[in-house]
Amino acid sequence: MSHNKEKLSVVLPLKVSEEVLSGRVANLSSEMKPERDLWSGIEHAINQKIQQPVNNQTKSNVVPVAWAASFIAAVLISWLTFSPQMQQKSQQELSASITEKPEATEQLVTFMQQNFQQQKKAMLVSFGQPNLTQLPQAMQQELAQLAAARKSIRQALLKDNNNVDLLNLLDFTQQQELKLLTQLYRQYQVI
Amino acid sequence: MDNHKVIDGQFATKRVSQEGQEQEWIAQAKQGSQQAFFHLYEKHHKKIYALCWRMLADKDSAEDVCQEVFVVLWQKISNFRGESKFSTWLHSVATNVVLGHLRKQKNWLQRVFSIEDQGAGQESLQEASVELTDNSTLDELDKHISQLPERARLVFVLFAIEGYRHEEIAKMLKMAVGSSKSQYHRARTLLREWLSESDMVMGEITDES
Repeated sequence: MSHNKEKLSVVLPLKVSEEVLSGRVANLSSEMKPERDLWSGIEHAINQKIQQPVNNQTKSNVVPVAWAASFIAAVLISWLTFSPQMQQKSQQELSASITEKPEATEQLVTFMQQNFQQQKKAMLVSFGQPNLTQLPQAMQQELAQLAAARKSIRQALLKDNNNVDLLNLLDFTQQQELKLLTQLYRQYQVI
Repeated sequence: MDNHKVIDGQFATKRVSQEGQEQEWIAQAKQGSQQAFFHLYEKHHKKIYALCWRMLADKDSAEDVCQEVFVVLWQKISNFRGESKFSTWLHSVATNVVLGHLRKQKNWLQRVFSIEDQGAGQESLQEASVELTDNSTLDELDKHISQLPERARLVFVLFAIEGYRHEEIAKMLKMAVGSSKSQYHRARTLLREWLSESDMVMGEITDES
């Protein structure tokens, strides 16, 4: 009987012991080099923190105005939606009354828009005027979509100025944009 | 022998002068000197970046959080009283910033995706291992550390690399001391297993058929 002896190459795993692992941990480099320059961002953030006392003064003026405006807008919307007088009127009467005075809706929409812009401005000032263009692309897109939605609703309201649902939707969209900005700031507050 | 004494003496003098220099930068930074603060950044940022990278296992997040650490340092440097080494104090500031970042990130994700099953959501976040953008230049062990489940990775980095005690880690990560120890054991077991797989050796066997 003859045997064919053939040498085969195989891969053998080496069992790494606790000592070997400890040795490799001890030899890990204590330093790593970041790929991008980090200092410019830090310097920018530090300078903004230094300027913040000045900004806070501006904020202290803008915020009460924004809150007051927000309160008035909320009261107006509630009144339009829930007021007994308004509810007593039939839908037709409501349509007729607003159709008679389309400029009233237009004024309200303009007021809501100004109020929103003031709130947004106050918020960004309190966040140290972050550069929104440095946000991840997906977040920028989300903000752009909300802004586009606001614009569409506003235009729809100007055409269909007796639509209370659209008014509520506009308010909701504005609030969502402000909430998103707050969340983004908490997430990316260094930028 | 005499030469050795001279060289040791030179190193000691150099170290003392470097520490003195650092104390000066700290004092100046407390007074608002950005130039002095830049020197502190230059000296420490690579170590802090390594800490951030190992805890977060993601290059972009590590860079962002490393920046945040130095912004927080600028705000808090006046709190440094010199009771411990500056580097030790800085590392504890950095660890807190990283953990805060992880908490914020989880809250944010939970809000955005409205995770109904909080338990399942947290588990999936904890267990997710992160793919690196570019890990080609990393140490083999660092690559494996980045693949560890989040809790095991955090405990391993804090205990084995940063030198914290399990009691301290348990407090920081809001877990039981026993959990910290078991996560550490889990991390070591996984690392040994993965290193064994990557440290394969070519051998030869004889086939007698």
